[in-house]
Amino acid sequence: MKNEAEIRRPKVEGRRKSEDRNPKLESNGFSAFGFRPSFGLRVSAFGLVLVTSIASASPINFNRDIRPILSDRCFACHGPEPAKRQAGLRLDLEEGVHGPLPKHPDLRAFVPGKPAQSRAYQRITSANPDEQMPPAKSNLKLNDAEKALFKRWIEEGAKWQPHWAFVKPERPALPEIRNPRSEIRNPIDNFIAVRLAEEQLSPSPEADKATLLRRVSLDLTGIPPTPAEVDAFLADKSTDAYERAVDRLLASPRYGEQMALRWLDYARYADSHGYQADWERFMWRWRDWVVGAFNANLPFDQFTIEQLAGDLLPNPTVGQRIATGFNRNHRINTEGGIIAEEWRVETVVDRVDTTSAVWLGLTMGCARCHDHKYDPFTQKEYYRLAAFFNNVDETGIGDEKLGNVRPVLKLPAPEQQKRLDELAAQIKEAEAKYNEAAKAKADPKKDKAAQKAKQELDKLQAEHRLLDMRTSTMVMEELPQPRDTFLLIRGQYDKRGEKVDAGLPAALPPMPAGAPTNRLGLAQWIVDPANPLTARVLANRLWEKFFGAGLVKTTENLGSQAEWPSHPELLDWLATELVRLKWDLKAFQKMIVMSATYRQSSCDRLVAADVRRRASAVGQADSLLTSAATSLYEIDPENRLLARAPRLRLPAETVRDQALAVSGLLVEKLGGPSVKPYMPAGLWDEVNVYGNLRVYVADKGEGLYRRTLYTFYKRTAAPPDSLMFDVPGREICAVKRSRTNTPLQALALLNEITYVEAARALAERMLAEGGATPAERINFAFRRAAGRVPNEAEAKLLRAGFERQLERFRKNGDAATKLLSVGEMKRNEKLDVAELAAATMTARVILNLDETVTRQ
Amino acid sequence: MQDSSPHSFVSIPLSSLASLSRRTFLQRSAAGIGLAALHSLVGESRGALPNHTPRAKRVIYLFQSGAPSQMDLFDYKPRLQKFRAQELPDSIRMGQRITTMTSGQKSFPVAPSIFKFAQHGNSGAWLSELLPHTAEIVDDLAFIKTMHTEAINHDPAITFFQTGSQIAGRPSIGSWMAYGLGSENRDLPAYVVLTSKGTGRRDDQPLYDRLWGSGFLPTQHQGVKFRNAGDPVLYLSNPPGVDRETTREMLDDVNALNRIQHEAVGDPEIAARIAQYEMAFRMQASVPELTDISKEPQPILDLYGPEVRTPGTYAATCLLARRLAERGVRFIQLFHMGWDHHANLPKALRGQCRDTDQPTAGLIADLKQRGLLEDTLVVWGGEFGRTVYTQGTLTPENYGRDHHPRCFTIWMAGAGVRGGVSLGETDDYCYNIVRDPVHVHDLHATILHLMGVDHLKLTYKFQGRWFRLTDVAGNIITPIIA
Repeated sequence: MKNEAEIRRPKVEGRRKSEDRNPKLESNGFSAFGFRPSFGLRVSAFGLVLVTSIASASPINFNRDIRPILSDRCFACHGPEPAKRQAGLRLDLEEGVHGPLPKHPDLRAFVPGKPAQSRAYQRITSANPDEQMPPAKSNLKLNDAEKALFKRWIEEGAKWQPHWAFVKPERPALPEIRNPRSEIRNPIDNFIAVRLAEEQLSPSPEADKATLLRRVSLDLTGIPPTPAEVDAFLADKSTDAYERAVDRLLASPRYGEQMALRWLDYARYADSHGYQADWERFMWRWRDWVVGAFNANLPFDQFTIEQLAGDLLPNPTVGQRIATGFNRNHRINTEGGIIAEEWRVETVVDRVDTTSAVWLGLTMGCARCHDHKYDPFTQKEYYRLAAFFNNVDETGIGDEKLGNVRPVLKLPAPEQQKRLDELAAQIKEAEAKYNEAAKAKADPKKDKAAQKAKQELDKLQAEHRLLDMRTSTMVMEELPQPRDTFLLIRGQYDKRGEKVDAGLPAALPPMPAGAPTNRLGLAQWIVDPANPLTARVLANRLWEKFFGAGLVKTTENLGSQAEWPSHPELLDWLATELVRLKWDLKAFQKMIVMSATYRQSSCDRLVAADVRRRASAVGQADSLLTSAATSLYEIDPENRLLARAPRLRLPAETVRDQALAVSGLLVEKLGGPSVKPYMPAGLWDEVNVYGNLRVYVADKGEGLYRRTLYTFYKRTAAPPDSLMFDVPGREICAVKRSRTNTPLQALALLNEITYVEAARALAERMLAEGGATPAERINFAFRRAAGRVPNEAEAKLLRAGFERQLERFRKNGDAATKLLSVGEMKRNEKLDVAELAAATMTARVILNLDETVTRQ
Repeated sequence: MQDSSPHSFVSIPLSSLASLSRRTFLQRSAAGIGLAALHSLVGESRGALPNHTPRAKRVIYLFQSGAPSQMDLFDYKPRLQKFRAQELPDSIRMGQRITTMTSGQKSFPVAPSIFKFAQHGNSGAWLSELLPHTAEIVDDLAFIKTMHTEAINHDPAITFFQTGSQIAGRPSIGSWMAYGLGSENRDLPAYVVLTSKGTGRRDDQPLYDRLWGSGFLPTQHQGVKFRNAGDPVLYLSNPPGVDRETTREMLDDVNALNRIQHEAVGDPEIAARIAQYEMAFRMQASVPELTDISKEPQPILDLYGPEVRTPGTYAATCLLARRLAERGVRFIQLFHMGWDHHANLPKALRGQCRDTDQPTAGLIADLKQRGLLEDTLVVWGGEFGRTVYTQGTLTPENYGRDHHPRCFTIWMAGAGVRGGVSLGETDDYCYNIVRDPVHVHDLHATILHLMGVDHLKLTYKFQGRWFRLTDVAGNIITPIIA
């Protein structure tokens, strides 16, 4: 804190808003199965202090300070939805805020400069329960701080602004920093540093090189660096060593696999139809297209257009058609007795909800049954969007149960085509044979020869059908004549209201000039630079990928109920930068990981001096000083200010991939049909005897060791360790994952076959390649998992544990043999059994460390 | 610090606490382990639960998956006999939608139940002859004859019952309870699911992860499904060759190394990880202890019937439910499959009742004699009802019934419930509700109410909207509340 930064305006807006002011129970932290949710649920003491301190110093900003309260507490009765609107008052529009009250034209809700004449303010602050707003029965409340904000806002002129996310981002000027307290490597750092300086905080120093390489390798590729890569990086003293490492990682095919993980969540991708019987489907070609597109660095606008409307491009390539599988990844119902139209409507609805959540960060689904309660979207506008997705030649149900449902693209490999042709010929023959046998028989069903011919025919047809199915992928295709689309009253498939045309919500910009009014036009509109949402949504989610939380924490919603951004100008700068970079995802992410902000250490540090200084400056010192706010992790537990790097538990897939990688078991192979690694027996069958996905049989050989991205995903009985480590259910689009810490995760890491076998494989490497002494071997394993050498205390503990286990296994060879028998991979018989078992236990300890499953 | 909040399910051994610095101690507070400390720090209430004095501390929900036939079990319709084989009048059906399994039928002949009914208990409740053991406990039960729902197919209907929405992605009722009220047991999950297959129909409706999923709530609130074969909880057993003592030594090393890292890095998440490993270790003892019924006295086992010793039977899961309730598990949900009787209903229904009647009654009796029924709420029911008209051919001995969402029977018992009452009335065809309809949201509101939770106040903000289990509806079913 010696070098006080001098800051020149433009002032960066920002003060932390407490998430805790709503009386509703957003997250009580009373945990159920253990424990403490590790995301988003912590309360920042800091945030609260800031509400009462900084806020009194800076002018009120309507969008930051007032709109969120109006939206959350008032819009339900005074918002966009007419059916629930009271007294005709709309507080989501400027005329409602400032204009005459519909019921009392002589009065206004808010009169600039005059709280006493502002009828809404009078109602908010009224002591009379009959007068008070919000009414008690709404279960909504305003606290005193919020009421005070309204007063100040009125006194300062009651200025109104449209919702920030619906206004095209303007590229903000870079805040200039003189005498920076930390390195400024690129514009990201300017925005972060200015905000930190406002809070009298300084950034953390750069992480040590080994930590940094492991962090960026896991973030970009999902695989930790090898010790050789770490050594080379540590030895490389050139100034661009880190940049070259980043370039190497971005060029790795692992990058595309890592990027695809979350995209599969967004796209509700799975290997089965979902719903009741949950039959198998074959959509892995779409998944491989996604991996390939990320690896080829297909610009995000093109990536978008091909997935939403590749079929409508002129002379679409096979890849462009496969890409449209994005909107065929929805569930398909095959239950007996269902009404097809009901489920066709569900499919269309799913496409609208998914597409608007993924690209626009909007909760369009709210407007299916009624006008949106918070955002300016009518129910009619919802169905106008639905009209874009309503023209697929589909029934809405899986008539044939198993496999892909039309429209499909057939993509047999040459040898598969050959087999299909053979089968077709054989079927013809078999048909002829059967007809011959059946001819002149009174009842062919009772004739042996006819029955035999029939069986042969059935067998051939079944094989043909299955191969035909397996070599296809579901795609979008327009009907020659679009279906009529109707507003559905209360969202019900059979309650048709007025007929609507395809079109866009009035609150958002119109179609770009020349764009057709179909899915292609919609896709072009989504990625048009005039669209205020898409670039912000993407920038915010990519930020979340590297920092654990979005600049807007509600990455799933940028509508009126969105959280105010922690760094609004940075968000807009990033959004405009994405467009400036022509949606180059690799370049954009490279910029993020090259920033000093990303490269900070994640270690805690004492910041008492910082806080004291600031607190005393605003006359709030006493309360703060006694609250013992002494560390970064305490004053900003969610790390929204980014005075340090986040520590994040690895995603489910990465936890497993890393164990396979460090043990040498990982089989790296891009793409192909999904694989079946170990899974406890009976999981598919104990609750389901329908469909063809029964009796799970794990693969032999490489299928056990592929990256988790390729694990077979049955929607109604998902891979259990994926669920335990927070992979969403894949039934509907999910753009957000929890990050939990539970005892079930501990049990999986301790006892699941994959991890026990990986520990043994790592132990074999310790003995075979890790050096001659236990100390060297422990170092070897620890480095592979944690990316660093253990310190003295750690090495001593591990060594003592190893010796203890060795003694035990020397006495009990049977136990050793049993432990070493876990997993398909054959044990290296040349190694001493007791030594290998003891090393396996050491490897288990290492694979279970918090540090191992965390990127620091 | 330990258990500073009654709801906190995190416990960190004092030995590890002692080695953590004061700084860490405070961090943990801020991170949610000591919420009481946090509240005083931020000086703000978070709408603590329960909202009012709970009548029930826990729920045992006996879900009968597939939809039991209400007019063959509970809703006695003597006048139906005279309409036998006659067409269901249009005045009754009123053009309401029916599934495509029967919408193609040329006729909809009325199929009265072939089972005999009699009155039982002081309350005089009518019950089918298929439920002789339930007959013994009718005075403890509150029947709701007028449940109705919105879906007509299994998947959306059971999803609706479990989550308050037909749309996938919402939290299940048990997850809401786990989120809102937490657990009373440090060594077991707050929400446990048990499943069993019925003998009435072996190929019956499947169940899905979603039914006990946490939807948009943090995933640690999802139900933990106990398995009937292998480890009751996934990955509970140590690998072969590794005994409990060895695991203890190994975990001591893991924890010690994590503490070193914690000292160096200062992230409270590491302290939480240590706590989770300790809990995992405790579960390795508590779960086998829970599932080991060898010490149950024979008279108790007899209450649940002859199948109680066979793992995976409904009887065995009923006994486990009592053992879970004793240990303070908040929401215990059984799913018994096999109730979807489109064809051969009489035979299939006999099988289902043989599976469930005695264990259900035994569970109630067992809870009652232990005093557990006073603070345990028990709910019995399926996802919809069945049609009065036959699906397929009607013969003197045989008929089938299609899905019927417009009225069906469930019952509740135990904490806060008035025993011996029957709510609601359906028409003579058991097709429409005449009086006192009860919607799924009403049932949910009532379960929450008995658990001390105002269904309007148990909310979670997702995608900018405050969600409730009861969506925008729900009325408490006051007539059945004691």
